[in-house]
Amino acid sequence: MDPLLELCKQEVDRTLLRENLKLTPEQRALELMSLLAAAEEFQRAGRAIRAMR
Amino acid sequence: MTDFPRLLEVLSRGGVKFIIVGGFAGTLHGSSVPTRDLDIVYSRDSGNVRRLVEALAAHAPYLRGAPPGLPFLWDPATVEKGLNFTLTSKLGAIDLLGEIAGGGDYERLLPDTVLVQIFGVECLCLKLETLIKVKRAAGRTKDLLAVADLEALKEERDQSRD
Repeated sequence: MDPLLELCKQEVDRTLLRENLKLTPEQRALELMSLLAAAEEFQRAGRAIRAMR
Repeated sequence: MTDFPRLLEVLSRGGVKFIIVGGFAGTLHGSSVPTRDLDIVYSRDSGNVRRLVEALAAHAPYLRGAPPGLPFLWDPATVEKGLNFTLTSKLGAIDLLGEIAGGGDYERLLPDTVLVQIFGVECLCLKLETLIKVKRAAGRTKDLLAVADLEALKEERDQSRD
């Protein structure tokens, strides 16, 4: 057993995993894409704010 | 952003033999660790290499992170001379892997796959247990959290089946 890995496993939010397990693979992929789209939007907004300063 | 549905459609409709591995395979199984690229292991047989090249040709594949203007020719000879390619394309980031550490090549991985119906196509995806094994074999520090997430996912999945 890898103690570092076991430590990392304690930090995993299992509630997210349980929610994901209720979804189909396609729904999981769509969730990922929504997350990535939101992240890109935040990055764009951050760049716009920095450009205004 | 990587257009996962289009990439999978282009590969599948092009008759390319491939297996989804890496972070996106983890996503399909239920991992909560996000990924930005599509990693696939492709069959190295010459017919498949030709189909792979044809399928991606219209989407301007190019070496990711390389300066523009390099004499990178996307043709079967280039793929056959190389093995693993980290590419960018009009459809986003895609890594083409001839083989992976701890798992081997397409033919060797085939028994360790599951068929997944996604975005209107059927794709082979690496089994969760094998995904954990190959991520562990890669031994990269950046994979530590992903391995922890996948192992926790397997525990949760197995418990929910009991």
